[in-house]
Amino acid sequence: MLELKSVSKSFGSKAAVKDVSLAIPVGSMVGIIGRSGAGKSTLLRLINRLCDPTEGKILWRGQPISELKGAKLNQWRARCGMVFQQFNLSPRLDVLTNVLIGSLARQRGLGPLFKVFPIEERARAILELHSIDMEEVALQRCSTLSGGQQQRVAIARTLMQSPEIILADEPIASLDPANSQNVMETLAGINRDRGITVLVNLHALDIARRFCARIIGMNDGQIVFDGPPDALNAAVIDRIYGRQFVENITENPSQMEVKDTLEAVA
Amino acid sequence: MTTINPYLNLSRQDLIAKAIAIAPKLVSIPISRRLLNYGVWVLAALAFALLCKNVDMTPAVFAKGFKNLLRFFGGMFPPEAAGQEIRILSALAATFAMAVSGTFLAIFGAIPLGLLGAKTLVKQPLAHFLIRRFYDVFRAIPALVWALILIVAYGLGPFAGVVALAFADIPRLAKLYAEAIENCDPKPQDGILAAGGERVAILRFGLVPEVLPVMASQSLYVLESNFRHAAILGIVGAGGIGFELEERIRIFAFDQVAWIVIAYVICVMLLDTISEKIRSHLIHG
Repeated sequence: MLELKSVSKSFGSKAAVKDVSLAIPVGSMVGIIGRSGAGKSTLLRLINRLCDPTEGKILWRGQPISELKGAKLNQWRARCGMVFQQFNLSPRLDVLTNVLIGSLARQRGLGPLFKVFPIEERARAILELHSIDMEEVALQRCSTLSGGQQQRVAIARTLMQSPEIILADEPIASLDPANSQNVMETLAGINRDRGITVLVNLHALDIARRFCARIIGMNDGQIVFDGPPDALNAAVIDRIYGRQFVENITENPSQMEVKDTLEAVA
Repeated sequence: MTTINPYLNLSRQDLIAKAIAIAPKLVSIPISRRLLNYGVWVLAALAFALLCKNVDMTPAVFAKGFKNLLRFFGGMFPPEAAGQEIRILSALAATFAMAVSGTFLAIFGAIPLGLLGAKTLVKQPLAHFLIRRFYDVFRAIPALVWALILIVAYGLGPFAGVVALAFADIPRLAKLYAEAIENCDPKPQDGILAAGGERVAILRFGLVPEVLPVMASQSLYVLESNFRHAAILGIVGAGGIGFELEERIRIFAFDQVAWIVIAYVICVMLLDTISEKIRSHLIHG
């Protein structure tokens, strides 16, 4: 079980995540939806500890992970794989080395710095690449691959970590529909076949509906919906994507006046 | 519940056997390849040792000169200007002036040459090749050589130094500018072409805003290094701080040498700090 207890995160005076509490059972596939800036990315980065919560606690299987430091923190990050919108591979390294980077948390000594990895790790990396049909390009530079291929390599790198949970931050936002489908099916397959918990941030409502049994809606740093796809009715969607908020600004005459005054002053 | 990772259940042997069945060449790096990897390092170390022997870089030689070196360093303390502060500082200013004017001349010379040297602007492959090799030929002549020639032609003094710096930097900057222009993103230019812009307009609004900060930053970098070059040119007769330094080394006035070096290092640090600030502002701001 992944538990968030009243987690908040502010950057300076701006609050990105406000008092979020959540419980996600092991093995679930959860979609997080919301507009840009709703706090979805920050939420995932808090769980992976790429940033630290301002307040609140995060627990995985009852173990508090929001206080980990040093080597323990690196171990946690390895257990908790991250997939990024822009893949975040090393573009000038070959595919195989990029995948082997996923095994770094298990390695000791200087070997990996000279690209010397144990033979069983190389074997595993090849099997991971084979499972996504990418062993053919194992020695190619990552930058020569298409976006969809790069995202699959990134997923293979994450799988090399033997993760217990995978956090995917807008994994398909830079991909075309066919590649999006492929990447989402890969993530769903990992969740189904390996029992890895998957949290995926998505812009698109229909993709979330198709692939996730549970959907969390965020708006302005807060959770405004948590339930199955069927419960996503028009009112809920308005609450998540804040259509009324947009209409308010454009239709509210007093705001227009304020803007005019400000411009006059300037 | 299904396993977290299906490969964790496999034994080491099975794992490797399975991977070999899929891609035999990828699993273990061939011996020949490994030998090649290590061989390069061994060869490099060997070559270095041979080179050291060739240029007589041995511990014995080092020890012999080291005694003198220690004596000179001892003579540097305490640093002392011997009442010549004004003279030294104005020589520093003259060297800075030489660097600035040399760099300015070089920038003006290099802008048209940089445009000519960019293969995105001069697309004819042979012309591009010849232009770039022409720059290479002139880039091979260092400022010091120009200075020695120009001092013979124009006599001792800063004029020869300024022109020598400019001559050495024109091909250097032209190459840097050309590469900045080549590496610049073509998409903005497409946008202006699509909006109905003419060739000059495309350069003005699509290219110049992209490359100007890069070119300015490279020019500042050249200015920084010219301040050092100008000091060296002073030693061969272009005046400025190099001349003052050389004069005092010759009479073993190492306390004054130390004073000059400290003053010079402070100036270099100031110049580098300021130009670094400007450069980061140009690129990011």
